[in-house]
Amino acid sequence: MENINEKFATIEKDLLAPVKWGKKSIIWMGFLMVTLVVCMFFYYQQIRNGLGVTGLNDFVSWGIYISNFVFFVAASLIGMLISSVLGLAGSKWIMPISRIAEIIAVSFAMVAGLIIISDMGRPDRLHHVFLHGRIQSPIIWDIAIVLTYVAVSVLLLYVPLIPDIALLSKKQNGLPRIQKWMYKILSLGWANHPNQYKLIKKYFKLLAVLIIPIALAIHTVTSWLFAMTLRAGWDSPIFGPYFVSGAFVAGCAAVTIGMYFFRTSYNLKSYITDYHFDKMGKLLVLVALVYVYFNINEIIVPAYKLKGGEAEHLKSMLFGHDALMFWLVQIGGLVLPFILLLFKKMRKPLPSLIISSVILLGAWFKRYLIVVPVQQHPYYPIQNVPDSFMHYTPTIAEIAITVASFVLFLIIATVLSKIFPIIPIWELKEEVKEQIQ
Amino acid sequence: MNKKFYILFTLVCLSFSLIAQESWEVIAEENDNLSIIMFDEELELSGQIIYDNSCKSCHGNPEKADFSKMLPEPGDIASESFQNQTDGSLHYKIRIGRGAMPKFEDALDSEEVWNLVAYIRSFNKNYIQKKPNLEGIVIPKFSLALSFDENIDKLVVKTIGDDNNPMSEVELKAYIKGSFGNYLLGKTLTNEMGIGYFNVDAKMPGDAEGKLEVIVKARKGYGSAKTMQKMIMVQPSTFESAIKGRHLWSTAKQAPIWLKVTFFFTIISIWLMILYVVFGLKKLKKYS
Amino acid sequence: MGNKEKGKQSRRKFLQNIGVAGVGAISAPAILFTACSSSSDKKTKVLTPDNKLIEIDSENGLAIDTTDKSYLNKIGREGIPGKKFVMVIDLGKCRNERKCMKACQSEHQLKPEQHHLNVLEMENPSSGQTYFMPKLCQHCDNPPCVTVCPVDATFKRQDGIVLVDNERCIGCRFCIAACPYSARTFNWTEPRDSEEYKDITYNMELNVPQKKGTVTKCAFSADRIREGKLPYCNSACPNGVYYFGDANEDLVTNGTTKETVRLSKLLKQNSAYTLMPELGTQPSVYYLPARENS
Ligand code: SF4
Ligand code: SF4
Repeated sequence: MENINEKFATIEKDLLAPVKWGKKSIIWMGFLMVTLVVCMFFYYQQIRNGLGVTGLNDFVSWGIYISNFVFFVAASLIGMLISSVLGLAGSKWIMPISRIAEIIAVSFAMVAGLIIISDMGRPDRLHHVFLHGRIQSPIIWDIAIVLTYVAVSVLLLYVPLIPDIALLSKKQNGLPRIQKWMYKILSLGWANHPNQYKLIKKYFKLLAVLIIPIALAIHTVTSWLFAMTLRAGWDSPIFGPYFVSGAFVAGCAAVTIGMYFFRTSYNLKSYITDYHFDKMGKLLVLVALVYVYFNINEIIVPAYKLKGGEAEHLKSMLFGHDALMFWLVQIGGLVLPFILLLFKKMRKPLPSLIISSVILLGAWFKRYLIVVPVQQHPYYPIQNVPDSFMHYTPTIAEIAITVASFVLFLIIATVLSKIFPIIPIWELKEEVKEQIQ
Repeated sequence: MNKKFYILFTLVCLSFSLIAQESWEVIAEENDNLSIIMFDEELELSGQIIYDNSCKSCHGNPEKADFSKMLPEPGDIASESFQNQTDGSLHYKIRIGRGAMPKFEDALDSEEVWNLVAYIRSFNKNYIQKKPNLEGIVIPKFSLALSFDENIDKLVVKTIGDDNNPMSEVELKAYIKGSFGNYLLGKTLTNEMGIGYFNVDAKMPGDAEGKLEVIVKARKGYGSAKTMQKMIMVQPSTFESAIKGRHLWSTAKQAPIWLKVTFFFTIISIWLMILYVVFGLKKLKKYS
Repeated sequence: MGNKEKGKQSRRKFLQNIGVAGVGAISAPAILFTACSSSSDKKTKVLTPDNKLIEIDSENGLAIDTTDKSYLNKIGREGIPGKKFVMVIDLGKCRNERKCMKACQSEHQLKPEQHHLNVLEMENPSSGQTYFMPKLCQHCDNPPCVTVCPVDATFKRQDGIVLVDNERCIGCRFCIAACPYSARTFNWTEPRDSEEYKDITYNMELNVPQKKGTVTKCAFSADRIREGKLPYCNSACPNGVYYFGDANEDLVTNGTTKETVRLSKLLKQNSAYTLMPELGTQPSVYYLPARENS
């Protein structure tokens, strides 16, 4: 008995320690805020002068905003699936990193919604979507599903947090008043009653089941924004699973990176161990394999037929204008990391971090390759327009606004991880208890 | 040597042909042709509409000399080169055309061409219209009666003179009225019984009763007549609105039912579950 | 001056000599007939709130409330009953004069790089010969651009015309992505002459004034059609390339010569085709192939 209480005490001490506003975190937040303000200046310019401040034109009318949106949706997908699918399947190893995955997912999903707004020519007419919404449009499906996904994933994050919030509100000192007050409200009168545990476990299970179809749908619907058009290169029936499998890869990579940073900066080395990185690495190998399979399908089938409009697009992708980026992304960002991760040594924390970062970077450019080059090869030639319409190059403003979305993501993720324990304390305690018994 | 000579020769020939094109001979008879109608503002206006639609693209805005750069030059209709010509010459050239100048004879009536001449003349302050000599000319007077013979699918036009006798040798033109122009059914002369026939394609779509609007123009010497009439001539047709039914591309209101059901059912059921959890969490308080 | 006065006097006299008669048209001497028939008695001229003189068919009883500006939007969405507008483009006659493009851009307040109508130089893959192809919105009967619009900002009317409502459009550009004919263009910055146009009531059928952050495209000159006139591009063409008309009447009228022909015959005799029929968009614009002159 003594032993258990001692262990519980160290767990609480270790895990509650990061929940405070230290000097470092304030500097970090300040830095993020300043960057955000600078980037928002460019958004103000975009509002004032129109989308003309971007490099978009009548032919490439969707650029890095949309690729970035697809990337954010992709990165948000896996977090929820890790905690729900693996949680439901009874994989124990996932427990310490499930909350990290959820926080990453929630933050990405929230910002994704804002990115769409930044791409709108008339953000002042956002309400038209609700007043005049046309349910035949995949955009409406996307908006509905993104909102739903954010709602469910926030709940999924929140429900298992309740016992920990109650703990925080009881034990954590030296926090601002509002934060304390917030904990009190959010803990919903938690009293460690067994029935309460039963209840949140029940709700967690329900949400975990619910999130699976929603998470798949959010990415499938996003892929439909492209697949539902008649453009050569987008007009593909496997875009749904292709996007979903791509999202697994990007999401796993994002979670691995998150794990590494929380582990080092929050001193959680004994909670997030090499074992977890090894497991994540293996998971990454699995999903990358699936993704490689879909990539092969997506390229070999049209490349074999070289049908009309597709031929031009594929040629420029495989050997032409976009070839360099394409091969870097495919080989460097997918195949090579996949092979490296097969070796146990490469699944240690630091190599994992590097490989995952490369994968994530590749994933971003992969989205760019899905969105942009197709539009540069419309069915009818691009004529009688300025030369700048022939190719798309993002402008500074556009890049800054995209950076803003990442900054916003970091802000949300930092705040969430600063006000809540990053590892579920009560679940960890339960596990320790089980082990001892 | 030989080659050079050839080139020179062709060049000389070409320049000659260009010069030849510059002068545009009009037969004397046509040259003296005059409108039997006095030009007035109304004619000028109808002439202007025709000009804007058919001529402006090459001849440009009158008095601005912004005509197209072509060879030979189309010229500005307000310019001297136009105004120095006789009415008959302008009338002839518009009708017959030459080179890039289209032949408008088939598209425009003689009257319409006179309207154009009236419009062209409106830019000339010094212009005084020459009146044709109408003295001693008998202007035939007649009326038109239309009917449709279903057995032979023909439009029958009967011309009846002042004296109630049929009038032969009347030039007839029949048109079907369209939204943007009139479709020429044919041209014919009336026979001794004063009758002219026009073939009507039975497959032509009519309105809901099978009616088509017919315009018949008749002319004999200086006499002319025109009549317009809606007649049952073809099978009745029904026109569907291009947006009938529920399609994926219809407006929000006309969205396909299956889509509405699927969409709202899915979204509402998910949100019900979300609400179930949210309100369910209140139960936690019971145990505290 | 004096001369003109004189001319007018003589005109009046001339008319007086003839006398004024009704439009009976039966048994009218030439002089009377022509003088009267040029005026159409069925049209009523109406001054619209944006100070535009339009002619409406008083027979159809199309009563317009001129005090309420929203009528422009209402009629814009409704279209003309019983019609199905089509265009036929004779590629054999196109000489790349681009009068159509100019007319279109000046009527629709477009910048030089914005095209509702774009004359493309195309190459015949088998013979290598080039020809010019005016490409505009095909007013598809199964319009992918309309399908994807999230807010009903682009829509199809009962007369087959696909229009854009730039007071509704949110600028998502999904329609641009969806249109396989690249027929749409966007107002990336302030539209041309937006200062001049800023107080003018929006006319959906003309899509003027253009608005920043919204999409715009060919409207088949819906505003002109309502007045019974051919589209701007058709009238501007000096070469007789364009035919326009109502498929329900089976008649199309050439924009240059005003000659009216049967649509079905024109299409059949010239082996007309539509652009990319394999996509199933069902265009309302037909092309007559360029004739090879090798
Ligand atoms: S051509 Fe393009 S813009 Fe026009 S109706 Fe078809 S899809 Fe829409
Ligand atoms: S850009 Fe405008 S018209 Fe096009 S789909 Fe979006 S809202 Fe509709």
